[in-house]
Amino acid sequence: MELRVIDKTDDELRLEIAGEDHTFMNVLKGVLLELEAVSAATYDVNPEQSGGQTDPVLSIKTAGGADPLDVLADAADRVEGQTDAFRDAFAAAA
Amino acid sequence: MSAEFDVEFIERDDRSARFLVRGLTPAFANGIRRAMIADVPTLSIDTVRFIENSSVMFDEMIALRLGLIPLTTPLADYEIGETVTVALDVEGPATAYSGDLTTSDGLVEPADKNIPIIKLNQGQRLEFEADAVLDRGKEHAKHQGGVSVGYRHLQRVEVIGDRGEFDEEEPHILRGVIETEDGELVATDEFDNDLTNRYPGKEVSVTDVPGAFVFHVETDGSLSVEELVDRAAESIGDRAAELKDAVSV
Amino acid sequence: MSYKCSRCKRDVELDEYGGVRCPYCGHRVLLKERARDIKEVDVK
Repeated sequence: MELRVIDKTDDELRLEIAGEDHTFMNVLKGVLLELEAVSAATYDVNPEQSGGQTDPVLSIKTAGGADPLDVLADAADRVEGQTDAFRDAFAAAA
Repeated sequence: MSAEFDVEFIERDDRSARFLVRGLTPAFANGIRRAMIADVPTLSIDTVRFIENSSVMFDEMIALRLGLIPLTTPLADYEIGETVTVALDVEGPATAYSGDLTTSDGLVEPADKNIPIIKLNQGQRLEFEADAVLDRGKEHAKHQGGVSVGYRHLQRVEVIGDRGEFDEEEPHILRGVIETEDGELVATDEFDNDLTNRYPGKEVSVTDVPGAFVFHVETDGSLSVEELVDRAAESIGDRAAELKDAVSV
Repeated sequence: MSYKCSRCKRDVELDEYGGVRCPYCGHRVLLKERARDIKEVDVK
C-alpha cells in the first residue's frame, strides 16, 4: 500500500492509495462517514476520466478542527476493529 | 469497538453455507463479499512443462484445462507467489483425470478427483510437470476460491390480517431467508419460495431487516467456507492496519 | 528438422538440396514430428 498525498490543509486531505480498489475503499469511506469529525468523505477510482489513473483518490473534509490524517488513522483503526469483531463472531458461530 | 456482530448458520455443507450476520453495514458486507471473490488466494497451475503430449489436443489447451482444476490450498504454509510442483503421467487407452495428478506437498491435492483432463487413445501419452502458484482471483479467475458468493437482506414477514374474501390468491414469491414473527429463520425454499404456501389466506407484509445480511458462500473446494470467510475479513483488516501504520507515523 | 514419411512411416531427415521426398520410398508427403525437447507453456 503506497500513499501519495495530493493536497493537505488543516481540514482537508486528498490522498492517493495505490493498489486498492472498491473492496477496501468503500469500507473505509463508510466508516469515515460515521465519524463525528468528518463532514465529507469520498473516493474516486478514476478522477475526471484521468486516462490511465486507476488508483483510488480518497478525499476527506473534517469539521471541528480535527486533523484529517488523525481522522483517517482513527477510521482505519475502526475498520480493523470491525474485521476482528466479525472474525470472532464468525468463529464463534462456525 | 462499536461493532456488535451476530452470526448464525442456516445451512451448512462441505463446500457451501448460508449464514446470517447481524450488525453489518452494506459497505462492510460488500467488502467481505468482494474480498472472498478477488482477494483470498488459492493455488492453481500456472506453468506447465510438457515432456510428452501425443494426445489430440494442443499443449496450450491442456494447460488451460489444468489451470482450472481447483487444488486444496493450505494458506498457512504459502505466501503469494510461492509454488508447488505437480506432475502427471498417463498412457492411453485411458482418460487422464485430475485425480492422476501427483504433488510435491501432501496437503495440496486436486479438490475433485474426477475432473477429466483428456481422453487418450491407444499409443497416446500425456506427461508433464507443472508449477502451481498461489495468487488472487484479481489476477486470474482460476485463483478464485469463492465461486458463488453473494448476500441478500434478511426479510421479516409479518401477518397483518386475513386476505380479503374475494381477493384473488396470487403467488407471493420470495427468495432468500425470512424471519418470522417469533424470530424463526426459514429458508424460502422450505415453502417453495411462495409465501402463500406458508401463510395461506393471510395478508402479510415483507420488510428488509436493517443491517442483517444473509450470505450464501460456495467454494470450489480449494478452501473451506469458514476459511474463505475468515481470510476475506482478515485481508480487509490487514489493509486497514497497514493504512493505520502508514498515516500515524 | 525431423519428419516422418506418410507412406512408409520411416523417419526422414531433410537437407537443403534433397528436395521434399522420402529417400526410402520416394513418397512426397512428409509429416513434421513434434520436437523432443520439453515445451513450457504459460497458463493464461
